[in-house]
This record gives sequence, structure tokens and C-alpha cells, in this order.
Amino acid sequence: MDEEAAKKLIVETLEKKKGKSKFYLKDFYKMLPDEKPRTVKNLVNKMVGEETLEYWSSGSTTLIGLKGVGKQAGSEDED
Amino acid sequence: MVEFRHKTPLIDQLETGPWTSFVSDIKREHESRMENPKGIDYQFNQDCCDDLLGVLELSYDHGRTHWKHGGIVGVFGYGGGVIGRYCDQPEMFPGVAHFHTMRVNQPMGHFYSTKYLEQLMDLWERRGSGLTNMHGATGDIIFLGTSTPQLEEVFYELTHNINQDLGGSGSNLRTPSDCMGQSMCEFACFDTQEICYQLTMEYQDELHRPAFPYKFKFKFDGCPNCCVASIARSDISFIGTWRDDIRIDQEAVKAYVGGELKSNAGAHASRDWGPFDIQKEVIGLCPTQCMSWDGSKLEINTPECTRCMHCINVMPRALRIGLDTGCSLLLGAKSPILDGAQMATLVVPFIKVEPPYDEIKETVIEPIWDWWMEEGKNRERLGELIKRQGMQKVLEVTGFKAIPQMIQEPRSNPYVFWKEDEVPGGFKRDINEFRKYHQR
Amino acid sequence: MAFISSGYNPDKPMEDRITDIGPRYYEEFYPPVIKKNKGKWLYHEILEPGIVVHVAESGDELYAIRCGGCRLMSVSHIREIMEIADKYSDGYVRWTTRNNIEFMTDSKDKCMALKADVLARKQPGGCYKFPIGGTGASITNIVHTQGWIHCHTPATDASGTVKVTMDTLFDQWENMKLPAKLRVSMACCLNMCGAVHCSDIAILGYHRKPPLVDHEYIDKMCEIPLAIAACPTAAIKPSKIDWNGKKLNTVSVNEERCMFCGNCYTMCPSMPLADTEGDGIVLMAGGKISNRIDAPKFSKVVVAFIPNEMPRWPTMTATIKKMVDTYSANANKYERLGQWAERIGWEKFFEKCELEFTHHLIDDFRDPAYYTWRQTTNFKFT
Repeated sequence: MDEEAAKKLIVETLEKKKGKSKFYLKDFYKMLPDEKPRTVKNLVNKMVGEETLEYWSSGSTTLIGLKGVGKQAGSEDED
Repeated sequence: MVEFRHKTPLIDQLETGPWTSFVSDIKREHESRMENPKGIDYQFNQDCCDDLLGVLELSYDHGRTHWKHGGIVGVFGYGGGVIGRYCDQPEMFPGVAHFHTMRVNQPMGHFYSTKYLEQLMDLWERRGSGLTNMHGATGDIIFLGTSTPQLEEVFYELTHNINQDLGGSGSNLRTPSDCMGQSMCEFACFDTQEICYQLTMEYQDELHRPAFPYKFKFKFDGCPNCCVASIARSDISFIGTWRDDIRIDQEAVKAYVGGELKSNAGAHASRDWGPFDIQKEVIGLCPTQCMSWDGSKLEINTPECTRCMHCINVMPRALRIGLDTGCSLLLGAKSPILDGAQMATLVVPFIKVEPPYDEIKETVIEPIWDWWMEEGKNRERLGELIKRQGMQKVLEVTGFKAIPQMIQEPRSNPYVFWKEDEVPGGFKRDINEFRKYHQR
Repeated sequence: MAFISSGYNPDKPMEDRITDIGPRYYEEFYPPVIKKNKGKWLYHEILEPGIVVHVAESGDELYAIRCGGCRLMSVSHIREIMEIADKYSDGYVRWTTRNNIEFMTDSKDKCMALKADVLARKQPGGCYKFPIGGTGASITNIVHTQGWIHCHTPATDASGTVKVTMDTLFDQWENMKLPAKLRVSMACCLNMCGAVHCSDIAILGYHRKPPLVDHEYIDKMCEIPLAIAACPTAAIKPSKIDWNGKKLNTVSVNEERCMFCGNCYTMCPSMPLADTEGDGIVLMAGGKISNRIDAPKFSKVVVAFIPNEMPRWPTMTATIKKMVDTYSANANKYERLGQWAERIGWEKFFEKCELEFTHHLIDDFRDPAYYTWRQTTNFKFT
């Protein structure tokens, strides 16, 4: 899959999720089952750099979601 | 006289006794910030130390924390290096309402010049709380407490003016750390600082951006004394060892026996343990009984030696590590959460540690990462994956041959899951052929 | 205060951005004597508690003096360290893996002058700024976590429990009277940010009550699926609740399954678990990380619970002191605490240290539990 199509698929899949805005890296692997984990990882991190996605860190683990989506910004007083 | 807004009668009781007091130190920083003799234009709340003492006093009063976690804050493009913290009583303690931590990648071996420390301190005094941890458990320099807008400012100054990056947190490679190694210690079997630095640089992307199901740690111990505890807490533990003879200086052995040299480098000097007894203290405690002393000559039967360091620790001026040095690689240590603690398991008994470390990267680190990225569950440490899928799988993904050094003892059940290609003729058989000789 | 820009432009975060540069190269921080003799050290010797001389093949000597430090350290304190390093050790200093500060000098005279200088530096309450010790068969500095200073899931304070423990064991820090080194570590909750699980003595903060649920706010503050997924024992389930006539989404906690880790609180501030009576201290003992004589060992739980007694935790420090004194009086030279306990048997350890044995100390957590029960008739009567 070319990169633009993959990015679009990721955004569309995330937009469909209800009640949960942050996901583990592995959840992104499932969206692109034909790609190597390393490729998906690099793409996801690139999308963070492009400000499509953002990280949320529990300190021990990192979750990833669409930028600005979810309840975390409100409850953390960072909106 | 600098004033303190909060009365702190409970934690004030931690300002007595001989051990250095963190409460006195935080008060000192508050005084320094309020007096501000250098005229610093503080970019973070000037009274934060006073409020931090107030929060702590409140916790001491009723035994509960007043901090909340925050996951959003960070520096742009990095998944690690910042931990968000918010006070749950922001009106009472506005100076620490937002109080985020930054992890700064420590120099290897924790060596500093005062010039470099001064750059770090000037930055953190101006843009943060003026409080640090030297160092965090993983090894980083911890900048303790600043506001969200200051995170990028600190990062910008770190990278532009101090040539210094952040460390790791989250599902990243964590900041690798090492023991003092060959810089000061004669026991070190490889240059812990150099490999720690080179792998930190090689894997910057993995360190700053989430790559894995969970945290991943490299730690480098120069010898089996394991001062940096790699065997207990790192996913890949590098422990120095050697393959040839322990070097013996027979004259120095005699000097220990004669009492001219102090056993264990003087480690027991404050108590009278009686005269040094080489038979009891060295030969008798050798776990493999590979040593002998006939009153004039110490002998070590090298093939029987497991290099536990006891004899070398006891007689460091007589015994030295061998010359054919390298390291053992052990995989999968972790603390008890969740399924119980795991020590690292020996996978590579000996490997040379020489720049550019291609063999270590290509035969161990990268195949292990590929496997874990593919098969590891969310928040599953490497050690747990090894337990779930088995040591055999480690051999399969790395291509290492099974050797008895990898185990404590062989299995005590015969339930081998034989693979089809290991059994002559395979698993597919003809039932009709079988029935020719066996009735239904 | 007026905002002063570093040069960073928030509207263009990628402009002029420097990333992935790693730490500074360590070699620029080596004192010249280390740069010259690295990898060519011949031996070391502890001249007196806290002072170690390293002798190189070249004949060069390096005197290192070890001072205890709080892990939590202010800029002012570090500036004082810098002043000392500039005065005596050519502007170089290092920290050990256990939060100690090591000043390095190239002569014994400088080292002794430095010693006299730093010992005279006291804090207003009389505490040493730079206590000297922690070498050889002693108790060195306690590695620890954040506690109430900065963490959201601690069950006790870290810096405070460490301060009172080091005060109690100070004689063992300043002297080398123990049979072997004794490593104390502290972690303020079971997630154990530090490697306390392999320490001779580990102080561990522990919660004993499941989290509260703020039903009215949880669905506004948190993403419920994330709180559920955070639970390592699958004790959290989605549920609904009647709240002033309205049906609200919330969670229910299976209290029997909760292991009190606080991971749900990390994800969701509507599930706090700190509790005055519930929280306190677990003591563990007998672990080690060195391969010396025998394999590294995990620490074992020897006291299931001690209440938090702020500000100086007298029960905890008395229990630790009793263990250290009993070990010191009974173990053989070179024997670590865990090696001693295994030699005499853990039943004897409890007897000698006068520790109560309760059912909490018998492992019932998953697979490894069975391997800790006794499957032999060889035991001692106590």
C-alpha cells in the first residue's frame, strides 16, 4: 500500500472508533496487516511529526491517537 | 529572612539526624529563588519550592499523595522524555499546579565537568523548579517540575546551546546506562561507556519514538559483580567476562597470606575478623572448588572456574581478570509486575565487545526486536514473551544453537513438542497400511 | 515574570529543530588521570571508609572520596558540589549508580583536605551536607523512587523513608563493620521504578485497598475502555449506574482481583486509590544482584505490612535495624544477608530477627508460588 493510502486508512479507522481515542502501536499493525511492524511504526511516528496523530504517555507505555481527540486534554487541563 | 508560606511541622522533623536532608535542601532552594542574588528572570514559578514543601506536608499529614498523572505533555515529535504531573490541590499550591518532569540523557558513567553542570543548572534554575534528581532509577538526569510552555523552551536550549538530548520513557528504548567500567575499575572486561554511548546513538529513533510493545532496557555491567544491576532489570543485560586464566601474582598472594595486604581491598577494616585465612576465605568459599593453595603457590583450574569474582574481590592485588575478555548476554529481566520478577536468562555465553558492535547488533539486538515487535503483546516485557513462547523460540529467531550453558538443569518432564521435520517420515501416515497389521 | 523565548517558535515547531543528538560524549568529562589510565588500572584499595585509591599500571593514583547525596538535589546544592570540585578536583565530579557523589583527586593530600572541608559543611538542622562513607562492607546510599514528592501512585513517601532509614543505619554507612556489603533500596509502589526486588533489604510502599470510583465524573474525565484495558488482572468491567435519575456510564471493580497497582489511576484520575489506613510499607530481604559465590537472588517479603508513621516511621526503622544488627552479629565474613538466611534457614531468620510469620508471607500469586513452599522434611524447629 502506498504511504498516502495507508495514512488515509489509519485516519479513517481511528475516526470510526467510539469511546476510545488512544491506541497501542500494535493496534496500528492490525490496520495494515500486510506491512511489517517496523514500517507501520515509522509511518505512525511520521504522522505524529506531521501533527495528524499525537502521543499519550502513561510513563511506562505510549498510546497514540488523532491529535486533539479524546477526553485527556480536558481532564489534564491542557486544552 | 525569606518567608515560607506553608507551615511544615511534620517534614521539619526530617531536618535532624546525620544523613543529608532533602527538606533542608528544598528550603535552601526556596531561599535562593526568593533572594535571587543573580537577578534571574524566572520562567517558572519563583515560589514553587515553598509550595512543594506545602504539598509534601499535606501528604505527611494524612498519608496520601496529591499528584495526578498527565500523558499529553511532551516535546514535539518525541514519545518519551517528559512525564506530566499535576497537583490535585492547585488552588492551595499554585506554584506546583503543573509540575512536569523531564528526563535528560545522562553522560555515560555519570561523569561531569563543572562547566557542563553549570550549563544545565543555569538552564534549570531559570526555566524549571531548580530541583533535580541525580539521578533517576534508569540513570537519567531528572529535571523535576516545570510548566507545559517551558518544556519546548528547555528542549530548545538543551539541543541548541548545550548539545544535549532527552532520555527515554514510555514504549521506547529507555536511556541505556552503565557502570563506571574501565574508567576507574580494574575488573571491567569491556568498555561499558563506549558501547553504552554508541548504542544510545545508533538507536536514537527507538529511544525517542515508541517502537515497541513496552519499555526496553539495555544495561552494561563491566563484570559479574553487576554494580548497575543489569541482570535484574534490563531486557538485554551485558555482563563482562573472560575466557582465559585469571592472572595470578604469586608474590602478592603471599603478601595477603602474610597479612601485609588487606583482604577485599580493605572492605572489612572497621571490625576485627582475625587474621586472613586464605583456605577458609578464598579456597573454601570458591563455589566450584577449582582453587588450591599449598602454602606457597595458588593454583586455579580454569576450565572449572565460573568467574564469580569472589577470589578477585578478596585479593585484587594478587588476582586479575583474564586477557581474553568480552561479555555474556542475558535476556529478559524485569521487576515483579506482573507475573513475578525475572532475572535475565543467559543466551550468549561469550561475545567480543568491539566497535562497531555489528555482531551484537545483527545477531542479537535486531532479531530480538523484530520478534518482540511482531509477537509481543501490549505491555509485555521481553522476558514475559520468552516465558510465553519459550527459550526454543529465542533460539529460532536468533539462530543460536542450544547449549547447556543456557540452562540451570535440563527439563524434568519429557513433554517435548516434536516438530514434524524432526521425526523420520513426518506425521502423515496411511491408516490402511496400519490396519494391515492391526485389527480395528 | 516576562516570558523569554529560547528561540523556539510554537507556530513552527519543526523550524530549526534539533533532535536525536543523544547525550554528550562522556570522554570530555573524564579527569585527565582517567583519560590517561582508562583500562589500565591495576588495583584499588579502600584507605578508610568512603575513600578509595585506584592505582594504575603507570603508577598514577586516583583518590575517590564518596559522599552521600539525596537523589532529590537542588541547583544550589549542585552548585556547591561544583565549587568543591573546582577547588579540589580540577572541575570534575561523578555520581555513582546509588546517588553518591564522588570527588576525584590526584593526590592524597588534596583528598584529605577535601574530606575535612566537606565534613564541616552542615545543613541548618545539623545534618551533614556531604556524609562520607558507603564503601566496602557497609550500607551505601539507598536508591529510591519519587514518593509523595512527585508521583501519582505512591503508597508512602520515598525521600522521607530513605532519610530516616539512613539516619538509623548511619553507623553502618560510616563504618565497614558488616560481614559483607548490604544494599537497601526503596520503591514507593509495587510497580517498582527502581530495582528493589534484588536488594539485601527493600522498602516497598504498598496499597491495600482497591481504587475508589468517582461515578459522577468518570465518563466525563476518562475514556472508560482505557481504564479497563489498563488493569493487569482484568478486574475492571464497564457498568452503568443510576445517578440522580440519570443513567451514567461507569466501571465496577472486582475487589478480589485487584492487586492495588494504580495503573487505572494513571489512565483515569477518577479512580484514585491512595488511602490513609490502607497504605503503608512492605519489607523485603535477602536479594542481591552480584554473581559472587552464588547466583543473584530476589528479595523475599519478610514483613507484609507496617503502617505509615509520618514523619519518621519508627516501626519500620526499628524493624530494619533489628534485621541488620542480627545479620551483622550472626553471618560469616563475606556472607550477604540472603546467603546467611538461606544457610540458617528462613525459619531461623524469622526467629532470630524476631519477626512475626503470618499467612501473608506464603506466596499465593500465580505459578512461582509452588516453588517457594517446602517439599522436604528437612526443617528446623523454632
